[in-house]
Amino acid sequence: MSSISELYDVTWEEMRDKLRKWREENYRNSEQIVDVGEELINEHASKLGDDIWIIYEQVMIAALDCSRDDLAWSCLQELKRQFPDSHRVKRLAGMRLEALERYEDANKLYDSILQDDPTNTAARKRKISILRAQGKSSEAIRELNEYLEQFVGDQEAWHELSELYINEHDYAKAAFCLEELMMTNPHNHLYCEQYGEVKYTQGGLENLELARKYFAQALKLNNRNMRALFGLYMSASHVAASPKVSAKVKKDNVKYAAWAASQISRAYQMAGRGKKENKCSVKAVEEMLESMQITMS
Amino acid sequence: MGEVELSCLAYAKMYLHASQFPRCSVNGLLLSSSPAGGAVCITDCVPLLHTHLSLAPITQLALTQVDVWCLQTQQRIVGYYQANACVSDSSPTPCALKIAEKIFEQCNNAVLLMIDGEKMFPGGRVPPIVVYERKDGRWALKDKHTIMLRQWEETCSIVNQLLSSGDQGLLVDFDSHLDDITKDWTNQKLNAKILKLVSPANGNV
Repeated sequence: MSSISELYDVTWEEMRDKLRKWREENYRNSEQIVDVGEELINEHASKLGDDIWIIYEQVMIAALDCSRDDLAWSCLQELKRQFPDSHRVKRLAGMRLEALERYEDANKLYDSILQDDPTNTAARKRKISILRAQGKSSEAIRELNEYLEQFVGDQEAWHELSELYINEHDYAKAAFCLEELMMTNPHNHLYCEQYGEVKYTQGGLENLELARKYFAQALKLNNRNMRALFGLYMSASHVAASPKVSAKVKKDNVKYAAWAASQISRAYQMAGRGKKENKCSVKAVEEMLESMQITMS
Repeated sequence: MGEVELSCLAYAKMYLHASQFPRCSVNGLLLSSSPAGGAVCITDCVPLLHTHLSLAPITQLALTQVDVWCLQTQQRIVGYYQANACVSDSSPTPCALKIAEKIFEQCNNAVLLMIDGEKMFPGGRVPPIVVYERKDGRWALKDKHTIMLRQWEETCSIVNQLLSSGDQGLLVDFDSHLDDITKDWTNQKLNAKILKLVSPANGNV
C-alpha cells in the first residue's frame, strides 16, 4: 500500500500544515486525519518538534471517530507519558472510554477532573455528550441549560442546545437559543437562516413574516445561501396567499417571491450550464416554482 | 397487507446515505417505477437530509421537487426511510411519522422504513431494516415474511464493494445539493455505477 505522501505527492511539511488547517477550522474529516496523521507520526515524528503533542491529540480524537482504538491508545500513551497529571489528557482518556461505550467509567473520570477543578468546562461538556449518546435528551437539555447559566458566552453550547431543542420539536426554545447566537454573531448568515427555518416551522402568519425577514437578512449577509433563497420564496408566497393580509402586504410579498424565484432560476441556469445531469434539476425547479405559484393564487 | 420488494439500487443508496453521515439522522424517500396495485416495488430512493430533519421548509421543498421529478420520470413516491443518529434507537420519530402520513395520503400502501444502525456492520447477515405499514389507523410493524430483498447475497457484496471503495462519498443528498447546486441529488452517475455491478440475474432493478 502506498503512503499518503506517495499517493498525493506531498511533503511532510504540507501534511503537517494540512493537519493544522483542519484543526483550526474544526473539520471532522476523521478518516483523512487518521491517514495523514498516522503517517506523519510514524515517519516524521522527530521533525515535528513540539507540534507533535497537539497532533497526537488531534489524531487520537480522529482515531476514536474511526474505531481505530489501537491508534487512539498509542497516541494516548505518548500524551500520558509527556503530561502525566494533565486534565486535558485525562479528558482524552475519558473520550476513549466513551468511544468504547464505557460511560460509567468515563463519567467517573470526568467527575474526578471536576472535583479537582470545578470550572473545567471540557469535562462538563463531555458529561453532557454522554447523556446525548445515551439518548437522554431531556437530561442533556437540563444540564446544558444549567451550564449556560454559568457560562453564558459559550457559543458551541448555545448551538448544541438549539440542535437539541429542534430534535425535540421545541421550536420556541430553539428560537431563543438562535437569538442568543445571532446577537453575538450578527454577521453569521447560517444562524439567520436557521432562525428563519425555525420560525417557518412554527407557522402562522406572524412567524412566516418573521421567517421571511430573517431569510432576507441571511441573503444580505451571503447572497449564495440557497436555503435562505428558497426560504424567502416559500415564506413570501405563503404570506401573499394568506386571506388575512392587506392588499399592500400581499402585493409586497408577491414581489419578494417573484424576486426570489428569478434568483433561484438564475442560480440553477448557471449551475446547469454544460452539465447534462443537472438539466433534470433545472427543469424540476422551474416546474416546482410554477406549481407553487398555482397553489398560491 | 401486500408484499414489499426492495431493489438492490434502493437498498444500496439508503445504506450509503446512512454510512456517509454516521453521526447524523438521515432520511429520504422511497420510489417506485412500477404501476400502482399489487406488491409495492421499491426501485429507487432519493436521499434527502442529514441536518434538521424536523424543520419544515427544506423538507417541503424537497418533497415538491421530488414530486415534480417523479412526474417527469414516471415514478411514484411510495415510502420514506430514516436512520436515527442514536444507533440504539431505531423507532420512528414524530417527524418520520408525519412525513410517512403525508405520503400515505397519496399512496395507500406506503411504507415507513427505519434503518437499524445496530445491525449495520461488515458481515451482517440480516438486512438492517424495520418496515412499518399503515394498519387500522396507525403505523404497525410489517410481517418480515412479506418483505423481499431479491438476491440478498449479491446486494450485500455490492454494498461492501461500494463501501470499501469509499463510494458513499459519491452520494448526493438534497442537503448536499443545497450546499452546492451543481451536485445532482438524483444521483445519475452513482445509479449507473451501481446498476453496472448488478448482474442481469437480479432482474428488473
